[in-house]
Amino acid sequence: MLRTIVFILTCVLLALVPVIYPDPYTLSVVGVAGIMIIAAMSLNLLLGFTGQLSLGHVAFFGIGAYASALTSLGFDVYLGFGQTLVVTPKPVWVAFVIGIIAAAASGWLIGRLSFKVRGAYFVIVTICFAQVMRLVSLNWVDLTEGPMALSAIAPLTFWSPTDGIVNITSKTGIYWLVLSVGIVCYVIIAGFVYSRVGRAAVALRENETLARSIGIRVTHYLVLTTLISAGMAGAAGALYAHTVRIIDPDVFLFIYTITMVIMVIAGGKGTLAGPVIGGMIFGLMPEMLRGVVAPEVQWILYGALMIVILLFLPKGIVPAFTLILQRLSKGLKANQSKQPTEIISTKTLVGTKP
Amino acid sequence: MIKNHWIKTALAASLVTASVAASADSIKIGMTQPLTGAVAASGTYVANGAKLAVEQINAKGGVLGQQIELILEDNKSNPREAVNSVEKLVLRDKVPVIIGAWSSTFTLAIMPKIEEYGVPLIVETSSSSKITTQGNAWVFRISPTSEMEAIAFAKKLKTFDPPIKQVDFLSVNNDWGLGAANEFKKIFADNGIKVNQIETVAPDATDLSAQLAAVKGSGSDTLIVTSGVEQLTLAIRQAAEQRLPQRIITTGGSFPEQLIANPGPKGYTSTHLLFFSPWTPEAAINPVVAKNYMDGWKEKDYPFPGLTEGFRGYDAVLTAVEAIKLAGKAEPEAIKEALWKTAVNGVNGDIAFIKSGPAGKESGQNVPNIYVVQLKDGVVSSAE
Amino acid sequence: MDQFLQHFVNAMIMGSTYALLGIGLTLVFGIMRVVNFSHGELYALGAYTAYGFVALLELNYFNTLFMAIVVGFLAGWLIEFVLLRRCKLEQIDEVMLLMIGVMIVMQNTQLWVWGGVAKVVQTPFAQEPLVFGAVSVSPTRVFVFFAAMFLLTLFYFLIEKSRLGMAMRATFQDKDAAQIVGVNVKRIYTVTFALGSSMAAVTGALLAPVFLVAPTMGDLASLKAFAIVILGGLGNLVGAAMGGFVLAMLEEFGAGYISTAYRDAFGFLVILVVLLFRPQGMFASKERVG
Repeated sequence: MLRTIVFILTCVLLALVPVIYPDPYTLSVVGVAGIMIIAAMSLNLLLGFTGQLSLGHVAFFGIGAYASALTSLGFDVYLGFGQTLVVTPKPVWVAFVIGIIAAAASGWLIGRLSFKVRGAYFVIVTICFAQVMRLVSLNWVDLTEGPMALSAIAPLTFWSPTDGIVNITSKTGIYWLVLSVGIVCYVIIAGFVYSRVGRAAVALRENETLARSIGIRVTHYLVLTTLISAGMAGAAGALYAHTVRIIDPDVFLFIYTITMVIMVIAGGKGTLAGPVIGGMIFGLMPEMLRGVVAPEVQWILYGALMIVILLFLPKGIVPAFTLILQRLSKGLKANQSKQPTEIISTKTLVGTKP
Repeated sequence: MIKNHWIKTALAASLVTASVAASADSIKIGMTQPLTGAVAASGTYVANGAKLAVEQINAKGGVLGQQIELILEDNKSNPREAVNSVEKLVLRDKVPVIIGAWSSTFTLAIMPKIEEYGVPLIVETSSSSKITTQGNAWVFRISPTSEMEAIAFAKKLKTFDPPIKQVDFLSVNNDWGLGAANEFKKIFADNGIKVNQIETVAPDATDLSAQLAAVKGSGSDTLIVTSGVEQLTLAIRQAAEQRLPQRIITTGGSFPEQLIANPGPKGYTSTHLLFFSPWTPEAAINPVVAKNYMDGWKEKDYPFPGLTEGFRGYDAVLTAVEAIKLAGKAEPEAIKEALWKTAVNGVNGDIAFIKSGPAGKESGQNVPNIYVVQLKDGVVSSAE
Repeated sequence: MDQFLQHFVNAMIMGSTYALLGIGLTLVFGIMRVVNFSHGELYALGAYTAYGFVALLELNYFNTLFMAIVVGFLAGWLIEFVLLRRCKLEQIDEVMLLMIGVMIVMQNTQLWVWGGVAKVVQTPFAQEPLVFGAVSVSPTRVFVFFAAMFLLTLFYFLIEKSRLGMAMRATFQDKDAAQIVGVNVKRIYTVTFALGSSMAAVTGALLAPVFLVAPTMGDLASLKAFAIVILGGLGNLVGAAMGGFVLAMLEEFGAGYISTAYRDAFGFLVILVVLLFRPQGMFASKERVG
């Protein structure tokens, strides 16, 4: 119960930020950080809850972005044999949904194909998938404009009773849009994690052979999780396309996957709040460090931070923080209990009540 | 989640103090250039030219009684980052005028934002004709279009021996490279020159051997290469390695300066179309300005061949400052009006804007000068 | 058709360097089961070492190659000793992420120190290409080929004929058994990682005068190294050597006859195809991968 109250309170506070501090630059920075947080949350689903290290996650982000952008702009593609597929521009929310579907479909494909291989091999396949997508978007200039970038992408719209259909182009509007999508995604993930499917997914993370032995259809659940995770990343990508309104092949760069990974790892993989906290820190740090250190040095610090967290705080910031809170409030008694009760969901879900 | 709230408050507080501190007594000029990434060499030169101009002007008292502050953002050789950098310059730094963004692709990407926010843009390098024909009234270009370059080149066709009869193209596959190939193709058609192969290359590719192998047997006597400094260097080197029979002519104003220190095979010659030639400063239209520029550059120990591109930043700053002076205040709308009346003696030549594009929404276009030089065994000479 | 021979020669030259690059990576995976994502950065480190010594300190190029080996070795030693040792190598995910962290730190340090503009390393050889009929090659590339083959041979003798090589092979086969017979497995790990890193570094130094030296050059090198290693089978040394040549052939002929633009894509396609249809690699016997 307390968990829900904190959640609702936080949502309200976040929604009030543009009212309290309406500087458009801050809002745009936080907006983009918010999109990365949604992508990080989707990665967390795969990485944290099922334990699959997918390092090509940005592929789903990019596919969502391009699919949505192209659908809203309309495109034609020459299919060979004198046939051309012509797609007229679709309404922007339709394009958004198509972006999600395209990303989820590629997630399904990758899931089905890659779960034949595990561990290091899976990681490599996912990285390559993202790289191939980048090269395709770079070279299929007729469709994607290649390095010349897809621009003049339509903004998302909002229906208000007074003004009718309104384009969401102001920084405040974008902020609220991203926040809404973020909250929806968070709720979906929480629901998934606490459901039967979610528990099966965690079971397979903890011990795949054992899970298989008690009848959990491992591949089935992995593919399902990948599908949801990819779809959500695609939603983040589509959101990005319609707020920044320009997309180029560099959206598939490995560095964006790394950014998401750092957010998840630093925040706490396998926890619901982890990617959000991690995303806040790494999404906003560049702005806070501006002028203090050069951008290259910032990235050196992020890399070093990631290494430090991996070696010393492997669970991430959120779990460590919670543990500290518990220790402060309960004194030494916390040492005995291995599973402290929490305000924020941090633990694995095997064997606990929903 | 509680921690999250405190972070936001801290961020808000720090940003407020930062913005208060920044609004000191200076006139800001914004600039977005590729300082990292595939075309970092050129972007760095242009930025250095701009910094030099700002320093020299500040030493003489600045403009309107205030010092000039150049706010330089890196667009990372990427159109999306270019848009990002413009957002920063306008929303965070509140600059009244912007110079940028080097590549035609980046400039085209930022033009909608320029119009949305109403800030004048001085285009210092980009050559795609689309930039000044789209009806964006906030765009003022001092660099030539690919069309102008092609026309100027056509005037020099007779000077080539052996004469140019058949050509191949090797262009970077973005608005600039493809646009240049198009314009030059038209000129060649008008002059009875046959175009054989057109090869393209991604902006960040380092191995051009496949493209060069493809043109090797085409029968052309000339290869026109359009790309940035890095790829020009690679193309010429690898072409020599593969013993391409074509002579190489580069366009776009970039110069493969590494080939001076590390020359190609003996006797190997390449020709380059430049918009400023530091090897023949006597040919400059405004020798005093050119000298100031070259002397200042030398003092700062910047690399000599960078002069071929640094002048773009230099001239752009001169233009911006003159416009601010005429406007009487550092406000975007006023500066935009003033730019139409601006006439400056720049390093490349005399800068003034003529209307270009659809009526009522014209952009400003300057008509600059073009120089042709030849590079052989590490030595540069005029080819006119 | 006359281009065929030229393509073949180009491919052989690049293949020899790819083989060096790939062996370094597969060695580390085979013996330590570590997926080294920072391999490309060690390649870049070698290239920047070449730049630093040749362009700035005006050292002889050949000595610089030697320095690149040393620098690579030391860097690898440092990484293994300071970081990898603290990890349980069985936790593959953590180790992979750690290596990614190292990659980020290394790449941005190089960006910070050297700047974003690409650098050129002067080659000590003449620029006139050597001509053999329809084929022309620059002397630099010829040297690269022979140097790479020499190093590969050296490596072969190290692994097959030396005591250290025997210890490494023992650890590769069964690390617990090796430990029982007295092999200091920890030390072997360090040497292995350092050796793999030095191979990447010397490849970078060899190719530095052929291309350009830029802070992001490691990205492509890393991915190609992975393609080679997957082609040959993770941990398979001979496979990696052959894989290097196969990848170079695919790239060269693919770019020559199919599409110049997709040259770098062939590496990735190779990985995807091999992993999906024959995940143990072209040259290995069956190994559990899923």
